[in-house]
Amino acid sequence: MAANNPPKKKNVVRSASSRPTGFYVALGLVAVVGASILGYTLTRKPATVVGTEIKYDPATSGPSQGYTIGKPDAPVKILEWADFECPGCGQFATVTEPDVRKRIIEPGLASLTFYDFPLPQHKNSKAAHNAAACAADQNKFWEMHDRLFGSQDQWNTVATDNPKPFFEKYASDIGLDTKAWETCYDAQRHMGRILANVNEGEKRQVGSTPTFIVGNKSYPGSIPYDALKAIVDSLTPKPAAK
Amino acid sequence: MTKRMIVATLALAGIFVSLYLLLYKLGIIGELSCSVGSCETVNSSKWATFLGMPVAAWGVAWYVAMFILAIVSTGERFADSSAVSAMLLGVATTGLLFSAYLTYLELFQIHAICQWCVVSAIIVTIIFGFTIADYAEKNSQKSTLS
Repeated sequence: MAANNPPKKKNVVRSASSRPTGFYVALGLVAVVGASILGYTLTRKPATVVGTEIKYDPATSGPSQGYTIGKPDAPVKILEWADFECPGCGQFATVTEPDVRKRIIEPGLASLTFYDFPLPQHKNSKAAHNAAACAADQNKFWEMHDRLFGSQDQWNTVATDNPKPFFEKYASDIGLDTKAWETCYDAQRHMGRILANVNEGEKRQVGSTPTFIVGNKSYPGSIPYDALKAIVDSLTPKPAAK
Repeated sequence: MTKRMIVATLALAGIFVSLYLLLYKLGIIGELSCSVGSCETVNSSKWATFLGMPVAAWGVAWYVAMFILAIVSTGERFADSSAVSAMLLGVATTGLLFSAYLTYLELFQIHAICQWCVVSAIIVTIIFGFTIADYAEKNSQKSTLS
């Protein structure tokens, strides 16, 4: 009877277990490695910032000149190399720096010096550094610094090919003598200073922005407030025990 | 392992790469800093969004689709299906074209290279290569049988 039965149709749906074990091993490996890397980056604590010791000989440094806020005799000096068009620098300037100024600079725990480091891929950055340097002529570097970082999206390479009208408006908004500012801006009077600051950064192995140098250590990236405060505290001379 | 299984494995790796880029774009991971050729430059450019969604999110969606399709295609039911091969090749081609467009933007518009985008472009290219090979194999089998 069985011989008269039509042959059974081959079961065409392969069960999951018929796939080779090697395939599952490969998938499992990729999943474990991928999830581990993602998990590590997600749970890594940003507050544990570790600086890299830099080799720097002040004797070979150029005629660089940053822009400083805070007491000149502050026990700790924070040096920042930044690019006005860099989103990471913008994030530090607008989110973290207000806290740094209020709780570290104003109480005199440290001073902060800004050095120009316009990156080549940011086409409007050099012009922005020029605008800020010209504002410094009228003692308003930091006011221009804050306006430039606060409105990065208006004048950056993506937004415009001609950032000058924006800078002119900021110059007027912060109360500069706009005629004097414009003469300085058009003449690129401070380009030498800007390039000297870049050069100074390169001598100190600055490779990205923002980069902070505190003491003899370099900290690349937008550093969180707590991490910066911890670094300043670690370098603050302790009062002698009575 | 068959070519389709290799495609599925690569697509799974691609899911993690694009997920990393998406989390970076959303500011959940990664250190915000700029350097020449950094992912920050690429990820903050106007081309980092496509049809209102981050390009990295399109990447995640594409890799997930490719992964599901490749896994299903490894079932015995579709083992000899040239139609499934054509579907795999079709999806892989859209990925390759989009990836080529993004690489063009990085090189000639943004003037910066993001290493994770390069990793993704390499994965897409290899996936495309295997789907072509799979398509050719299935079609040659079909012509041999007929």
